[in-house]
Amino acid sequence: MSKEKIWHLFSRKLSGEASQEELAELSLYLEDHPNLKFQMDALGHVWQQQNQPDRDYLEATYLLHLNRMKKLGVEPRHADDVAEAETAEHVKTVSFLYRHKYMVAAAAFVAIFIAAFFVFSNRNPQTEMTAEASPAQVKQQTVVTQYGTNKNFKLPDGSVVWLNAGSKLDFTNVSETGDGTREVYLTGEAFFDVVKNPKRPFIIHTSSIDVKVLGTKFNVKAYPNDKTVETSLVQGSVEVFVKNRPGEKYLLKPNQKLVLLNEQEAPEIGKKTEINKNANLAIIAIKHLTYGKNDTLSIETSWIRNKLEFKDETFAEIAKKMERWYDVTITFKTRELETEELNGDFSKETLRQALDALRFTTNFNYKIDGKTVTIY
Amino acid sequence: MPHQNLNNSVRDLQRRIAVYEDEAAYKELFILLFQSLTRFAEGIVQSKETAEEIVSDVFISIWNDRAKLNAIENLQLYMFVAVKNNAVRKVKQLNRRATVSIDQVNVEMDSLYQTPEEKLLSNETVEKIETAINQLPQRAKLILKLAKEDRMRYKDIALLLNISVKTVDNQLAIALRRLAAAISEPLRKKK
Repeated sequence: MSKEKIWHLFSRKLSGEASQEELAELSLYLEDHPNLKFQMDALGHVWQQQNQPDRDYLEATYLLHLNRMKKLGVEPRHADDVAEAETAEHVKTVSFLYRHKYMVAAAAFVAIFIAAFFVFSNRNPQTEMTAEASPAQVKQQTVVTQYGTNKNFKLPDGSVVWLNAGSKLDFTNVSETGDGTREVYLTGEAFFDVVKNPKRPFIIHTSSIDVKVLGTKFNVKAYPNDKTVETSLVQGSVEVFVKNRPGEKYLLKPNQKLVLLNEQEAPEIGKKTEINKNANLAIIAIKHLTYGKNDTLSIETSWIRNKLEFKDETFAEIAKKMERWYDVTITFKTRELETEELNGDFSKETLRQALDALRFTTNFNYKIDGKTVTIY
Repeated sequence: MPHQNLNNSVRDLQRRIAVYEDEAAYKELFILLFQSLTRFAEGIVQSKETAEEIVSDVFISIWNDRAKLNAIENLQLYMFVAVKNNAVRKVKQLNRRATVSIDQVNVEMDSLYQTPEEKLLSNETVEKIETAINQLPQRAKLILKLAKEDRMRYKDIALLLNISVKTVDNQLAIALRRLAAAISEPLRKKK
């Protein structure tokens, strides 16, 4: 064999391009050429060595990259990264220039500092209290939100919860460690980012459904006065058990939601239009999550970003959301308006601005009297 | 095989970005490929700042086109090609008459690194190899970098650089032969 060829075989071996025959040919040749074998072993060793990526540099660079995306309005938004997105905002004075490594390091430091600040300042009194509770005594651990506010906090096991306005979460049965299931009781709406632990399933109980998960991101909406109870899955997988249908189990895939007609509410609805609508609505349906244009967060979970968003929802459903959002009571004097389907996307708008915006799409008048809104 | 590992993780991240718009996966992809893409771009534009900006732009377009991402067969190669095109365009913007050939691409290799526990080679040997790498013709050095550090297949390197697979095969054999020869030679004084 030519000496030329042996180097071809060797480089193919290192690059994973060599065939079985070529590998055999090479090793046979090297048995008779120990000096060459020594050189090749050394090079093979060098070839396998991969430098560790410079994680600090990459993390800092990624923050600056996100910041660039944000300026272009295409920033990926993710429930995980509230703190991170927040920091990206704060480092926007740092331009995308890398004249000095120190600058990147400084940006990373500022980012960590702000992230820590954000985490600490965001703690609310209720969770603070529970953190002090001694492990021996079993104490009721509950977080409640009033209308017009929502809260973001961590459970003892590390899972993160966003609790929407007018909701309540009892997490007495979520211990920091130990075996057994993690169980919470929810009234209202919450977004969960559950820490994965296959040994300790996480169960959310509501009045009409139980949701069982191992570790995942999803939203549960179970307000007593709403027409439907919804479970929206963003990531992972969940099992939904419907209480008055024992033995039935629904498995959701990402970007699906399970919509259950709230049966407590259903019989009470006496209006003609509502009955017609309900007749067409299956008691249980699996639908896809709705995404707005250029938005990476589905409408179902937009509230965790402090956005009030709806798409093709009836004015009556929207009014329920606005009541919780703005902490007001909304009544309709003109019944036909209740079934009107509207779209909207509000974040910083005042109640008046939001109502005015809605008036662009449909014809109605409103009157605000203290905490009561009348629509006619 | 290392190629398979990198390909599989890129493939998995690609799917998570396309299907779930998973920001964590997007970040992981950034961490995985940013440095090697920047090195490559820097070899063309000869400026770290410009190179980082070019690669950041390519990552932005990846996010913007995430819905179509699953259709891309080899994302790593796709991104290298995008970075190359943007870098070449940039060079021409700065100097209309400039031509970019792969013989001018001046890439930096990672310095050779051994963990103390598994230090199989002497410092002297490592130094000899590093010196020899830096003395390789630029084309051979570039091909060596893409094969060793970026774990690219011959056919992908050929596609990226617009050369034949045969050329890749030859250049890599020549490069390794020279490095091997350097190991047996006495250490030369560095300039």
